[in-house]
Amino acid sequence: MDNLHIVPTGSSPLVDFDAETGLLRLSGESYPENALEFFRPILAWISAFLERDTRPLTLELRLTYMNTSSIKSLMDILDDLEDAHQGGREVRLHWYCDEDNGRALEMAEEFREDLTLPFQIIPEKAAP
Amino acid sequence: MLTLPELRQRLTEDGILICLNGPFSHSIIEELGNAVKKYLENEELQKTAMMDVFSVYIEATQNVRNYASRPDLDDAARVQAGQGIVVISREGDHHVVRCGNLVRLEDGKALSERLEALRGLDKAALKALYKEHLRRELPPGARGAGLGLVEMARKASAPLEYRLTPAQEGFLLFSLRVTI
Repeated sequence: MDNLHIVPTGSSPLVDFDAETGLLRLSGESYPENALEFFRPILAWISAFLERDTRPLTLELRLTYMNTSSIKSLMDILDDLEDAHQGGREVRLHWYCDEDNGRALEMAEEFREDLTLPFQIIPEKAAP
Repeated sequence: MLTLPELRQRLTEDGILICLNGPFSHSIIEELGNAVKKYLENEELQKTAMMDVFSVYIEATQNVRNYASRPDLDDAARVQAGQGIVVISREGDHHVVRCGNLVRLEDGKALSERLEALRGLDKAALKALYKEHLRRELPPGARGAGLGLVEMARKASAPLEYRLTPAQEGFLLFSLRVTI
């Protein structure tokens, strides 16, 4: 499978998915004009990866801000990961938060409430 | 016609930090959003408060964009709907985001029903509603997730306030006020 790489913009995140290592990284701001459209290929890639492959998947998130449509898209991604996890697939989620941003922490915790897959929330110093 | 000194005085008295009156393109929303972040940083706000104001600003302005992009609007309506006004002000310890845009007469009722429903919900009920909406299936061609108003209601420190006032032929001005 090809890797997926999307360069970030002021309102859309960096997407760096490595089909070889199974490491999927999403970082930056996420409030694109049409988030549902933006995330469609991302969701499709993940679906394909989960279907065609058996190797472990690690999703690393460093999202500083998400609008509600991005949150919805992320929920769809995490639902797919949860299904895979429940089906015995090795999937892991590492959610990195700015330690000074209480809202980011709250959001991560809220997501974690409804999932059983391995989900680590890691506070970090924000980049200057 | 207000003179510039009068306008400046009025803006200062009302605690207005930022005001944009005009067409809301995605790039304008983004640029103004960067200015909003800088202003709030200068105020030495807690990061949480800053994030709340920023997210309400984004949700409100993107709602205007999404409404104006609806396929069932005709060209004339689309032009009107894409014009908006957004004002961010400071009132004592609170920041207030106000956002206005033109909506078709026929869309006013559904809008006020949604807002009335939200105004009656407490924090726990808003969270439950948010989670329910987060999981629901979206109609094909949906531009947004339909979560903006609930999200703003969750971030607000008081129930959302709104007004629908007659504007030009066939349109109402929808004004939303979110106190954070």
